Amino acid sequence: MKRTVEIGILQSRSGGYQAIARSSLLGAYAAIDQVNADPDISVRLVPVERDPEGKIDLYAPLCQDILTASRARHVLGCVTSWSRKEVLPVLERAGATLWYALPYEGFEASDHVVYMHACPNQHLLPLLDWAMPRFGRRVHLVASNYIWGWEINRLAREVITTAGGEITGERHLPLGEIDVTAMVDEIAALRPDCVLNSLIGPSQYAFVAEMAARLPGLPILSCNLTESELPLMGAASEGLVAAGPYFRDPGQTDVFGNSHEAAAHAAILEMARLFHRHPGGEDLPLAELLARDAGAGPIDSATHHTTLPVLIAEVRDGAFRVLHRRPAVMGDPYLTRPDRLPEGRSSLRVIR
Amino acid sequence: MKRGLRILDLAGARAAILHRPHSTVAALTRQLTAIGLMTEAYWPELPPDFGADFLFFDVDMGFDGQFPWGDGASPMPLIGLIGSEAPGRIEWSLARGAHAQLLKPVGDSGVYSALLIARAGYDAQHRMAAEIDQLRDRLAGRETVVRAVMALVAQGLSDDEAFARLRRLATDRQESFEAAAERVLAKFPGPYRKGAGQ
Repeated sequence: MKRTVEIGILQSRSGGYQAIARSSLLGAYAAIDQVNADPDISVRLVPVERDPEGKIDLYAPLCQDILTASRARHVLGCVTSWSRKEVLPVLERAGATLWYALPYEGFEASDHVVYMHACPNQHLLPLLDWAMPRFGRRVHLVASNYIWGWEINRLAREVITTAGGEITGERHLPLGEIDVTAMVDEIAALRPDCVLNSLIGPSQYAFVAEMAARLPGLPILSCNLTESELPLMGAASEGLVAAGPYFRDPGQTDVFGNSHEAAAHAAILEMARLFHRHPGGEDLPLAELLARDAGAGPIDSATHHTTLPVLIAEVRDGAFRVLHRRPAVMGDPYLTRPDRLPEGRSSLRVIR
Repeated sequence: MKRGLRILDLAGARAAILHRPHSTVAALTRQLTAIGLMTEAYWPELPPDFGADFLFFDVDMGFDGQFPWGDGASPMPLIGLIGSEAPGRIEWSLARGAHAQLLKPVGDSGVYSALLIARAGYDAQHRMAAEIDQLRDRLAGRETVVRAVMALVAQGLSDDEAFARLRRLATDRQESFEAAAERVLAKFPGPYRKGAGQ
C-alpha cells in the first residue's frame, strides 16, 4: 500500500521558453509514472501543477497557490533565474523546497533550493578548459542582456584573462533582438579563435544562422544549448559546441531527449527516494530532510548542488556527438573549492 | 577607477564571526560554508593569535576594546551584523571601520555580496592610504629638494642644471626625486642642510 505524497510542478506550457519547460515537464511526468508503478517505492506521487505561461509575475502567486491548495512542500519548477528568485521568499516563508533542474550561472546556495542541473564549474569552466588549447585563447563573448549572459561573460573574462588569454570583444543584445549584423561584422573584423555564445531565444537562432552564412568554421561554444533548441536552428546548428551533463545518444532509443528532461527526471526520482527512505520527510524543510539522509544521495548538504557528469559535444548531422567526457563533479556555485575545478590544467586554478 | 571584482581567489578563505552563540551565527555559518569559506565564531573576545580573511562582528552588543587593533586599522575586511538600526549603533559600527553590513536576521542571501563589497572597500581603503602616504612623503620632501638644488647651485650649477642632475640621479638609481635630494645633501652638507644655520 503506497503512501500518497503531493508534489508541486511549476512550469510554463506557453511563452518564450516553453520548449525548455516542456522538456522538463516530460522528464518529470515520466519519473512520476515510474515511481508510481514501482512496487518497491512506498510513495505514490500526486502532481499539483500550475502554469505561469512564461510570465514572470505569475511565478510567486502560483507557487503560493500550490503551497496553499495542497500539502505539497516540494516543488519542481522554474526555467529562468529570474523566476527562481521570485519564488524564493514564498518558499522560505513556507519552509518549502524548489527543485530547480536547469543550468544556471551559479552564485546561489539557498537553503530552500536543490540545484539539479549544471553550474559554471560543471559547464563553463570545463568548456573553456577544453576549448582554449584546441582553438586558441582569443575569445569573443556574445550574450543576451540578461543575468545569464552577464554572469557567464563576467566569469569567462576572469577565467580567460587569468589563464593568459584575451577577450577580443564583448557584445550584448536586448532579449528578442534578431538584428545581429553589427555583432557578426565585428567578429569578422576581429577574427577571434572562438566565440562564447550566451545568447538566448530568437537572438541566438539569428546569430547562429548569420555566423553559419558568413563565418563558417569559426567555433561557437555554449553552456546552455541542448537538443530542445536544435530544430529551431536547422542546418545552421552544425558544428556548435556545448557543455552539459547529458546529451542524447542518437544511436539509442528510449532515452531522454535532452538534459532538461534528464535533470527533471532525476529530481523526481531523488524526491521519491528521500520520501521513501524517510516517511514524513515530504513535510520537512530541505535541510532537515538532508540531515536525516546523512549524505546517502547525490545532494551536497552544504550547497544543495549535485554531482553531475561533464560532457562536451558537437552538433553533427542534427544531433550532439560527445567529443569529451570528464568524471562527474560536484557543483561548486561560488567557485571556491579547487577540487571541483577542471582537473589537469593548472591554468584555470588560481594561486592565492 | 574601474576595477573588476575577482572572485576566484575566495577559495580557501577564512571567516570569523564575533557574536554570542545565537541563530544568527548558525545562519551565517550555514551561508559561509555554502559559499566555501571556513568559519569560526568567538564571543566576547577574539583569541590572542587571531587571524582571518574576513571578520563579521555584532553591532548590537559589541563594545569598545573587543578588537586588538585601532579603530579603522583592522588587518582584514570588517562586516557589521546589524539588528537594531539605531543611529548610535550604526555610528559605533562606522567608528570601528566596518566595510559592509548585513542585517539580522541573516537569511539565504546577502552574505556573498557583503563579502565582495567589504573586500573591495578594504582594498580601496588600503590603496588610498598608500597613495596618501606617498604624497605626504613627497610633500615633506619639498624642503629637502629646494635645499639640494641650492647646494648644487653653490657648487656652480645653474638651477636648471641642478634640477637635471637631481632627475638623472633619481633615474639612475630608480629612486624618488626626494631620495636623490637626500643623497645630494649628505654629500654637500654645508649651510643648506635642514636645521643648519639657525
